Amino acid sequence: MKDESCSSGRVVRLLFAVASVLVVSARVSPEASAQPRFYWKTLSGANAVPLMDNSMSGNTNPFDPSHTVSPGANFDATLSMFGYARTFSVFDRAAMAAVILPMGRVSGDVTIGTATFSQPASGFGDPMFEFDVNVVGPKAQKNLVDALRYEPKFSLDLLADLAVPVGEYDSTQPLNIGQNRWYGRVGAPIVWQLGPWVPGRRTTLEFIPAVWLFSTNDDYVGTTLTTDPLFQLDAHLTRDFTERLWGSLDGAWYTGGQASIDGVAGDRLNNVGLGLTLGYQINDNLTFSFGYKSTVNDSGPTDLRMDGFTVSLISGWHALVEGARRLKAE
Amino acid sequence: MPRRNDTSVPDRGELSRAGRILRRSLAVSAVVAAALAGSAPAPAAETPRRPNIVIILGDDLGFADMGFFGGEIKTPSLDSLASGGVRFTNFYTHASCSPTRSMLLTGVDSHLNGLGNMDEWTAPNQMGVDGYEGVLNDRVVTLPQLLKDAGYHTYMVGKWHLGKAPHQIPAARGFERDFSLLDGAGSYWDRTNFTAASPLSVFTEDGRYLTKLPKDHYATKTYTDKLIGFIDANHGDGKPFFAYVAHQAPHDPYHLPKEWRSRHVGEYDEGWDVLRKERLKRQIELGIMPADTRLAERMWFLPDPALLAPASRAFLGKKMELYAGMVENLDFHVGRLIDHLKRIGEYENTVFIVFGDNGAEGTDLFQMIAGQPGSRDFLFAAMKWSQTHPNAWGDPGSYVAYGPMWAQASMTPFSQYKGWLAEGGIRNALIVRGPVVKRPEGSINHGLMHVADVMPTLLEIAGTSYPKTRDGHETPPLIGKSWGPVLAGEAESPRTVQDVLAWELFGNRAVRRGNWKLRWEFKPFGKGEWELFDLAADPAERKDLAAEHPDKLSEMVALWDDYARTNHVVLPSRTPFETMEKQLPQRVPDDPGFPPLNQKKQFVPPEDEQAEPKK
Repeated sequence: MKDESCSSGRVVRLLFAVASVLVVSARVSPEASAQPRFYWKTLSGANAVPLMDNSMSGNTNPFDPSHTVSPGANFDATLSMFGYARTFSVFDRAAMAAVILPMGRVSGDVTIGTATFSQPASGFGDPMFEFDVNVVGPKAQKNLVDALRYEPKFSLDLLADLAVPVGEYDSTQPLNIGQNRWYGRVGAPIVWQLGPWVPGRRTTLEFIPAVWLFSTNDDYVGTTLTTDPLFQLDAHLTRDFTERLWGSLDGAWYTGGQASIDGVAGDRLNNVGLGLTLGYQINDNLTFSFGYKSTVNDSGPTDLRMDGFTVSLISGWHALVEGARRLKAE
Repeated sequence: MPRRNDTSVPDRGELSRAGRILRRSLAVSAVVAAALAGSAPAPAAETPRRPNIVIILGDDLGFADMGFFGGEIKTPSLDSLASGGVRFTNFYTHASCSPTRSMLLTGVDSHLNGLGNMDEWTAPNQMGVDGYEGVLNDRVVTLPQLLKDAGYHTYMVGKWHLGKAPHQIPAARGFERDFSLLDGAGSYWDRTNFTAASPLSVFTEDGRYLTKLPKDHYATKTYTDKLIGFIDANHGDGKPFFAYVAHQAPHDPYHLPKEWRSRHVGEYDEGWDVLRKERLKRQIELGIMPADTRLAERMWFLPDPALLAPASRAFLGKKMELYAGMVENLDFHVGRLIDHLKRIGEYENTVFIVFGDNGAEGTDLFQMIAGQPGSRDFLFAAMKWSQTHPNAWGDPGSYVAYGPMWAQASMTPFSQYKGWLAEGGIRNALIVRGPVVKRPEGSINHGLMHVADVMPTLLEIAGTSYPKTRDGHETPPLIGKSWGPVLAGEAESPRTVQDVLAWELFGNRAVRRGNWKLRWEFKPFGKGEWELFDLAADPAERKDLAAEHPDKLSEMVALWDDYARTNHVVLPSRTPFETMEKQLPQRVPDDPGFPPLNQKKQFVPPEDEQAEPKK
């Protein structure tokens, strides 16, 4: 007969379960290609620290989001990223600001004109700042009541990224961690809820159409490098397998991004990549994911060829949830 | 209930007097009069103008839920029946479902008809005792049997809960057509039931046990569809019909199609205290309750919603949102039935009787069944009933019940809820509409009514009578009183101030005579001793008058003794409430504003008295 439905302990447990699940959903962009569930919304005031590691190879420098192809080249790279993100609300809309610092090493052969360079590069890359605000969809989750009632249904965001050219750069080398130019993107991430919004049963279709814009690198191994805008469309079909385990079929399409070196134009990109991602929520504060992605139409010498594994560990927290946990532990 | 030896069995003269009144009000044919006088079943062809009868039972529907009883829940279809008929504010059922249903369908006291206790809670000392079979026993004759004999088609859809064996199911107890859930509750979406021992709900259709449910089954919809089909199949053959529409809704679990779940988002965020006040205000404005009615105390173990975090209130409020959706969905399907009867020209010739079967449900049934981790039923629930996320509420596999706080709101202004014998457990909203009602449309009556009255009332309407014997044995006495004179506007109550109603369930006991009510309940809901209330002055049972009125107490206790003796009441040796005193917090008064500790607001000193710290 004892009724627990009204006991504050049970209510608090359930509410914080709702909130904490959302906290670890807050994640920041690890790379040029957005991860699935990247733009899911969470409680305002949540924090996240991602740590991601990519092992990649191909004919383009993975530290360079322009994906400029070096025909015949073969790079191997270990790219790690560390960052911080925080969610907040702007005029009742969910927003997120993040900073990502890439770091790692890359090695391989690069041919510029008739010269071939074989050299490794390592160090810190260009930090990137990101701002994302939702414009279509539910209002920001400013408190637990909002979080309790949240379902994305159809959400559309506006996104702006800006990378600051302060990363490791050696103008005598074509292969660098930093890019020696400003670049960024504008996009409109879409999350489309298919079916119930219940952990263990969630399905989403996600699109991130974006345009990358690049300034000129006027000191690229003694030449001038310009790159046309690159249109990138990432798509993900994600599905929960359990309340903690989810998976995603990933696709990406790149087009444009024609690079010119001293006015000599290369080819436009028109490439497709496919991938898989598995994610697991370890606890209320920690999420792990593993993914693999590879370009598919990459047999031509000027086609973008890139594949890589990604593992990520994201720690998220919110002061309210942490405080409640401390009280519960007493 | 009336004492057996003075009021329980209407004699032939009483039936005849009531019948005369009904005849006048119905203006039925002389053939009906002849049938009444002879007390013989009338052939169908001779009674073409007898009204159809539809009983709509809401399972655990609260006194204050429907709009015309003060609820904010939108119930336009049920309200339309109320606005065209009469509402009753002093109508009693039993405190739980199967005992109420047993009396509804037999007119016989539950301790004699087999439901002296719910089958699920039969105590060791009640096992094998006559009247405690847990199913309708073979000594009673049922309302549908008698109506069928009188030339009515008899249909049932919904919850039965009065026996599962072939000789106990609706088809065996008088229903010509049925689509029935034999269990007391279950999923609305499929056959999933609550325990590992009995994992599947059992359904029958026209007397056959179903191996699967119809496609796109949702209980409330299927029941309505089936009933409309039954009515249409025989429509035009000249016979009236009796339909027993025993909806599962709004009994937990609150399973509900998605489009009905979000009609009240945020509307209950202020909590149960505010809702009770608003409902009582409307009840007073409507004339349901007297102007000086006070709310029952918030039960001592329930939190003051004002002290809960907004998120906690929203979380708990979402349960009430779902319940409101359940009631509105029920109303929608009642509306479908009404519309259909209008379309086929039967609406105006149909008597509707609408009520809930007991108080609203405040007990956590799911917790009782599956609340112990490691138990067999916990593991069963883990597989079948673990959709606990709020966004899954309403889906198959979810189990939501709104808890005692909202149950008390559903029973505004009364105290307690289903399972108990305070007014909140047994007093229900009743609507009667149809050609037999001659009171002003939309009027309210405060006469003392009882669910066992339905049997004699409907037998009169059908022009038949209760037999003294059936299949060679004497039938048990009816305890109800016909509503004929009340419906005809010729009396304000079927009972005099001397008539007695009495209840016993799970060991709790109560007696009502006139405005006095005697009550014994287990601690801590009761005192474990007799309490006495004046319901006219104190319908919320706030003030125990036992010490102030010892003579009245003795008189009422004697009435109880007589009732128990007459109806062979066997107080149970085990009950669901036997350990409750240890489970609940110590009972304390509900004093608004206490303690001030966490009610006082931030002190703000006068601006001109404030200063920076001195260096």
